Amino acid sequence: MDQEATERRVERWIGRILRFGVWASAGLMVAGLVAAWISDGALRIPKENPPATEVLRQLLAGSLEPTTLIFGGLILLMLTPLLRVLTAAAGFIVEKDHKFTLVSFVIFLMLVGELAYSLR
Amino acid sequence: MTPESFLLLVVGGGIAGTIGAMLGLGGGVFLVPFLTLVFDLPMHQAVATSILAVIATSSAGAAMNMERRVVNLRLGMVLEISTVIGAIFGGVTANMLSGQVLSRIFATLLLVVSFLMIWRVRHFRQDHSPAEEGGFPASYKDESTGALISYSAKRVPLVSLIALIAGNISGLLGVGGGIFKVPAMNMISGVPMKAATATSNFMIGVTAAASAFIYFAHGHLNPFIVSPAVLGVLGGSFLGIKINRRIKGSLLTWMFAGVLLIISVRMFTR
Repeated sequence: MDQEATERRVERWIGRILRFGVWASAGLMVAGLVAAWISDGALRIPKENPPATEVLRQLLAGSLEPTTLIFGGLILLMLTPLLRVLTAAAGFIVEKDHKFTLVSFVIFLMLVGELAYSLR
Repeated sequence: MTPESFLLLVVGGGIAGTIGAMLGLGGGVFLVPFLTLVFDLPMHQAVATSILAVIATSSAGAAMNMERRVVNLRLGMVLEISTVIGAIFGGVTANMLSGQVLSRIFATLLLVVSFLMIWRVRHFRQDHSPAEEGGFPASYKDESTGALISYSAKRVPLVSLIALIAGNISGLLGVGGGIFKVPAMNMISGVPMKAATATSNFMIGVTAAASAFIYFAHGHLNPFIVSPAVLGVLGGSFLGIKINRRIKGSLLTWMFAGVLLIISVRMFTR
């Protein structure tokens, strides 16, 4: 019964993380689009998409430029599945399920490795 | 971008999301052709946009399914190892191919998907593997009957191989891959259809995330195209789930299989 209660709690937490990720990212995208419309009076699509490293630099600097806000939403959306995998791993640790803790960390490390390699 | 174009993106995304949710697919098979044929968006940007949309719909749907306890979390995590590997290779490969080649591959995929949609309706398993026969035992309460369904998954290595291929297609073409994973889990592993669909939906977000960063790093994410499309798909998928409960599935499947065939021809001849 304890095992089932723990599983239920883990599943609820994963659901919450997913919901938060989706709605927070949608909120940032909407904020960015509204800000772009207000500041420019139009949505001007840049001729070239900004480099990923430049976007990250601006995000870390706390820029509130419309494009940065939108990218912030998109990056949060991309990170939501990673957070989900990490939450599942935490759940498996609590359940003392070592096999699936390992599986979860393998997936997490693959995703982080791919992220780091892409942005090198 | 004009207000009309912006609205068209949101509405187009919304339609893709609605149809995808009604048919148990991600919106990608409809969104990518919409972006390339209607907006004349370069294929790589269309694929990148679709991948973000898949993450959004997967995450939103999975949140509901987790709370209903239909997702087989352990099975999904094991299969994710293969799909993530496949998706990473798919994303890397896509950025080595020209837009024209990707477009042709996508058109071929649409042909395959349209046939698979029909085949799935006719052949999906009504029974399932008993809980004591396979691995990854799980159970869920069927909302329509109130019955507790206990099952297990057999032949997981074979399904993992199919998941690897599905992941590769996802990374390459910006689709979720559920059209391959769901039949594999249901017909090969004996997972009940509802659990297979929920588990697949849970997985495709991670699969898409695996290749999303590759497209981001290559500069294929246009924020003013991606964001309205993703917001539209998100809204559409919620609507699609509500409508889905009221409409007979097989007629829709035939209709949209036909639509996909037409789109496939259009993409081949473009």
